Amino acid sequence: MFVLGIETTCDETAAAVVERVDDKRPGRILSNVVLSQVNEHAAFGGVVPEIAARAHVETLDHVISKALADAGRTFEGIDGIAAAAGPGLIGGVIVGLTTAKAIALVNEKPLIAVNHLEAHALTARLTDGTPFPYCLFLASGGHTQIVAVRGIADYVLLGTTVDDAIGEAFDKTAKLLGLGYPGGPQVEKEAVRGNPQRFALPRPMLGRPEPDFSLSGLKTALRLEAERIAPLSDQDVANLCASFQQAVVEMIEDRVRTGLHLFNTRYGAPTALVAAGGVAANQPIRKALHRLAYDAKTILVVPPPELCTDNGAMIAWAGAERLAHGFVDGLDVAPRARWPLEEVIGMRPQVAYRVRQ
Amino acid sequence: MRVLAIDTALAACSAAVLDTESDQIVASESLPMVRGHAEALIPLIARVMSEAKVDFADLDRIAVTVGPGSFTGLRVGISAARGISLATAKPAVGLTTLAIFAAPYIAQDDTLPVAAVIDARHGYVYMQVFGRGGRTLMAPRIAPLHDAVRAASASPTRVVGSAANMLAAAWPSSEPAPKLVEESAAPDIKWVARLGVTAIEGQGSPKPLYLRSPDAQPQDAARLPRR
Repeated sequence: MFVLGIETTCDETAAAVVERVDDKRPGRILSNVVLSQVNEHAAFGGVVPEIAARAHVETLDHVISKALADAGRTFEGIDGIAAAAGPGLIGGVIVGLTTAKAIALVNEKPLIAVNHLEAHALTARLTDGTPFPYCLFLASGGHTQIVAVRGIADYVLLGTTVDDAIGEAFDKTAKLLGLGYPGGPQVEKEAVRGNPQRFALPRPMLGRPEPDFSLSGLKTALRLEAERIAPLSDQDVANLCASFQQAVVEMIEDRVRTGLHLFNTRYGAPTALVAAGGVAANQPIRKALHRLAYDAKTILVVPPPELCTDNGAMIAWAGAERLAHGFVDGLDVAPRARWPLEEVIGMRPQVAYRVRQ
Repeated sequence: MRVLAIDTALAACSAAVLDTESDQIVASESLPMVRGHAEALIPLIARVMSEAKVDFADLDRIAVTVGPGSFTGLRVGISAARGISLATAKPAVGLTTLAIFAAPYIAQDDTLPVAAVIDARHGYVYMQVFGRGGRTLMAPRIAPLHDAVRAASASPTRVVGSAANMLAAAWPSSEPAPKLVEESAAPDIKWVARLGVTAIEGQGSPKPLYLRSPDAQPQDAARLPRR
């Protein structure tokens, strides 16, 4: 089956067409168009919701057109229309979901309201055909979670952050040190030249039995160290970045190890440790995850960077997986700013709206 | 020509189908609502199309209100209109809410000016003033209430729109009272359809008319000094 996927939950306007053959095989990406708003938000050091919503509404239809053209298909050749219905910035979610509903109505195609986190969680099946159950480490600018992915619409949250997301902490560090936005790649680049032992930063939550995260204490410690030695030299900035990144890596190692252990205890051995979200693009973090997977006698699956960050292909794929299970949504489905992964369910009451029944 | 009209800009969720051959609104539905447009609109359009017995393929254009209005509401209506336009390959045209508020009054009598006003909150209104023949005397703008009153009361005027009573209440006693004050919470969807017929197709698709910039300031304050 072929599914069109639409993603507008944050600062990427994206659409893609994906094919799903069966439960075993990876999917095929026919097109994957991502229009980033990074320049619109750069001056603000973070995503401004109203600016994001304004950009989505003026570009989404063009992005969808291009995704169809790139895939060489028309709406007639599409079996379902999927859109991220949350969680995310509600202004953008409304644009994507409403557009998807309109297309579904006109073409009399099923609508699939996809949870954005569920789409990240299922990306390893699109790229690698990873069988259930697997352990997901999802880390981005908005989310930090360890999830047991047991099946479609069967997700158990094992751990999460009690305050900031990991990507958010990278962005805030970059902002403090006057580096560019988004901060993750900038901090990683600076850290290469830095001494990770130069500053003694805390490793929050280390050794706790629940695989949860906390970033705010680390963020504050970094700020205090930086303020203490300001004005900062180039080497200071590099040392601060290296020390910060090292603290994050060590926290991730401890927390994900705890998560894998909890997974094993509850559900047996996972088929893989799957990393998703933009943070997985960070090389030292990736190396740490490799070690963790090896120690846990499993494999690490990391989708390519363009599928780790927000994209339409993952929404289309999650839509296809749900559609294959008969999970579709009515045209009155609500956009959701908040929508925890464990609240994602399978079958919902079906309301079919058709012109001229 | 068959036009599908959509409005979610203010306190209603509405759609209508107009057929110019019979010169009739063949189906129309309008639900008063302050929020919930994103859930209500597409099922409502489905009902209206079904009642009109018109296929999407038989539409000639889609008309939508582009604002000023609730930012979220505007994006619901425009996303729907542009989505339907994309799926049907039929053009979409945008109309301002202020023009729709004024249209029935201009149609009645086009010699007396009409000031259309919408509450923009925090002591501001969106306004547009139409003169003889429906020509624009003052283009759509956002203005403090007292500035809007001063502009509107300069000549004998009819005051309409969702902030009509607010404007009338602030009317200076020194000026002649407005010739007519009629408040309505949302544009009449039938007029969106009617004006949609004659609207000129612009360059590209309809875009929201916000009249207000996003509330955001560049943040350099957090940045530490560098050597």
